Amino acid sequence: MSSRRARSRQSTSSSRITDEQINDLVSKLQAVLPEAHIRGAERVSAAKVLQETCNYIRSLHREVDDLSERLTELLATTEASSAQAAIIRSLLM
Amino acid sequence: MAISDAEGETAAAKEGGGERKRKRGAEKPLAKWRTQGEHKTYSSKLVEALRRVRRSSPGPSTDHSRSHAVRAAADRALALAARGQTRWSRAILSCRTLKLRVRARARAGRPKSLGGVATAFASRPAEKTKPPALERKARVLGRLVPGCRKLPLATLLEEASDYIAALEMQVRAMSTIANILSAAGLQPM
Repeated sequence: MSSRRARSRQSTSSSRITDEQINDLVSKLQAVLPEAHIRGAERVSAAKVLQETCNYIRSLHREVDDLSERLTELLATTEASSAQAAIIRSLLM
Repeated sequence: MAISDAEGETAAAKEGGGERKRKRGAEKPLAKWRTQGEHKTYSSKLVEALRRVRRSSPGPSTDHSRSHAVRAAADRALALAARGQTRWSRAILSCRTLKLRVRARARAGRPKSLGGVATAFASRPAEKTKPPALERKARVLGRLVPGCRKLPLATLLEEASDYIAALEMQVRAMSTIANILSAAGLQPM
């Protein structure tokens, strides 16, 4: 298994990290991914989970970028005081 | 607060209703990113930061530089919300100004925004004939999460799951604010 190779490389830089610990973290990560409820408890390979994680993080970054652009445009066009009042009201309600 | 309530509920459904109160104990440390309290705190911090961005660059300098500033402010606020408990948050807070300058120059060529410490990331020449796929993916993941390029796998996975939960909250908060702003824009008070 490739994870065993990875582990032997990392055992020099870190104290004992067991395969079980890594598997545990991988399954926790899998649970956070968006398709977790579709897959259920099916054990996916660690490489697949890592791949999906990378894709998910990239898509989240893209969403944040898009939202930043949208917010920038909105900041430029909306009237300051009324916008802030609206936000504060909604946040505190 | 219909919007954030609905979002909070659908998002927290997976976690099993941890939205109203913080979970005690280390069972689900990720649930902290889904609480209403955290959401509100982050949103108000973000609004403050947005106001500062707005004040600091009054004229429409460039949309890119301003959206960049907005993104940076949002990431900084997110990192602050982590209260220094994770590496990625510390990396964001310590490297932010450095990254800003390097990325402004390299912005044209680079599609990815957040990429770890701002050192010149040389592309790897054939380092190994056949790197194990898991290693490769772990490296890619380490590049995506700020400040995590040289971490052992276990730590990297922990950081990644916390980072994902935080990013999800960031997306929720920013879209809420954007919706409120566009609604406020349509109805001048």
